[in-house]
Amino acid sequence: MAGKPMLKPKTKSAVGDFLFVVPALALLLCFTYYPICKLVEISFTDWNLLSDDFTYVGFKNWKWLFAGTGAKYLWNSLKVTFLYSLGELAVTIVGGMLFALLFNRMSRSFGMMRAFVFMPKYVAMSSAAVIFLWMLNTEYGVVNYLLKLIHLTPVDWLNQKSTALLSVLMLTGWRVIGYGMMIYISAMAGISKDYYEAASLDGASSSQQFFRITLPLLSPTTLFLLVTTFLSSMKVFQSVDILTEGGPSRATEVFVYLIYRYAMVDFRMDRAATAAVMFFVILLVITIATMRVSNNNITYDS
Amino acid sequence: MKKEPQVESGRAIGGSKVWRVVQPILAVIVTVIMLFPIYWMIVTSFKSAEEAQLLIPTLFPKSFHPENYLYVLGRANFLKYYWNTIVMTAGILFLQVGTGVLAAYGFAKGTFKGRSAMFYVVLGALMIPLQVTFIPLYMLCAKWNLTDTFLGLILPEAVSAYYIFMMRNTFMSIDNSYIDAGKIDGLGRLGTIWYVLMPMSKATLFTVTLVTFTNGWNSYFWPKIIAKNEVRRVLTVGLAQLKNTFAGQAVSNYHQIMAGAVLTILPVIILFLIFQKYMMTGYSKSAMK
Repeated sequence: MAGKPMLKPKTKSAVGDFLFVVPALALLLCFTYYPICKLVEISFTDWNLLSDDFTYVGFKNWKWLFAGTGAKYLWNSLKVTFLYSLGELAVTIVGGMLFALLFNRMSRSFGMMRAFVFMPKYVAMSSAAVIFLWMLNTEYGVVNYLLKLIHLTPVDWLNQKSTALLSVLMLTGWRVIGYGMMIYISAMAGISKDYYEAASLDGASSSQQFFRITLPLLSPTTLFLLVTTFLSSMKVFQSVDILTEGGPSRATEVFVYLIYRYAMVDFRMDRAATAAVMFFVILLVITIATMRVSNNNITYDS
Repeated sequence: MKKEPQVESGRAIGGSKVWRVVQPILAVIVTVIMLFPIYWMIVTSFKSAEEAQLLIPTLFPKSFHPENYLYVLGRANFLKYYWNTIVMTAGILFLQVGTGVLAAYGFAKGTFKGRSAMFYVVLGALMIPLQVTFIPLYMLCAKWNLTDTFLGLILPEAVSAYYIFMMRNTFMSIDNSYIDAGKIDGLGRLGTIWYVLMPMSKATLFTVTLVTFTNGWNSYFWPKIIAKNEVRRVLTVGLAQLKNTFAGQAVSNYHQIMAGAVLTILPVIILFLIFQKYMMTGYSKSAMK
């Protein structure tokens, strides 16, 4: 406080307040904003991890990514990421809603069951992934054992193209469905009972009540889940890394895995940076688009 | 009655008598299925290598082998990974809470110029995840010799925009008259935060901090990149490594991997079982805002 005696008290207090946001801002500038600028720069160089110096190469990496050899992999990973997102959205929203209806009863035992269903969210993805790796093991996995019990042919879950992404989604589904459930249950608790009483008096059946009252009134919640889940699902990496490493033959190579592969496996920082810039633009577009939508969203209840 | 958060508004299909009987049965079945992976992990972790690989799996171990845990802690170096994870998580927690609470105060109660513009800088950071910036970050850390160090693990996660955002909203909801009262009692800014604002937002503070802790403990992407070497490897990365070490030998060590999986999640799951009320609303709170 002794620093600047000439400042008027008002300004002095403003400077004091400002000091409180400085550490956070400084760290953000250094570890978030500086890197994103640097990232754009790297995408115009030929830098790889093996050498220290680099030269600017213009749009070479961009051409490679969009029109060259990289294009095939880029579209593949976009497709895989999109399919994965659809799957995670379906589990979170449809599965979460069904679970919410099933577990929405007020009693101690139901409270306990809700906690157990929610718990996988807090199981570290590493542990969850190795559990599923084990359960889905072709020879000794318990899932294939159960299939054999009911006389179905065992499935090579993680090593064939048709089921690899589905396996990743099974793991995801196990971890997120309880989250969707909790979000819906707390939203349902906010719906006034008067609506249902009025509907019953008018002779509405329970399924009518669900589709005409519950579902529409939950639409802001659904929109929230849609937006946040979509954005977070785009960033999927860990489950893929542990379960399939992007394989077999890139069938589960999601976008972040593509970037990771260029950077940490091929040591092509230039290509990885270009893909990462592209990824950032996608995230940005989705965010802005969804913000537009949420601003015009329809709310029925206050 | 009204205060109970779980009001039965699933009445939509809740009316019929059949449902009242079917619902608990179905709920128990679904819960059992949801818990099965965790059960299977624990059971396998106590089996012998031979028993884990029976073609007809046993639902309960025939003989107990707690030495799987000793192997993972000792030979597989999980004791070291534990220490690394604890220090990393503590560092992230300390810095995120510290910078978060201070910044939240500045943004909620401060009166300096450009405050809202600077707040957009914080919000903007929410849109730039580590998955986008990890390449330049890795360069930066390599230049500062931070690879395989605690600082390298911690610094990029030192600030959480989410934390600032949540705490700012909470502080803003606290009336200024409390702060003025504190001033009369001679509290400075730090005193105001410590004695007035933080106690008054205990519940949110606790919830958001728990989320910060678990996110730190469970983090994987950045630690995998910055701390590849054994000396600073964390549990989540070490566990995935455990699987890779034996890649050639098919499934011969799944009993040990499962022991590692249990060890990795133990602290967080214990926290969850104690504080599940907070930890389950932790997410929905941000949702309902």
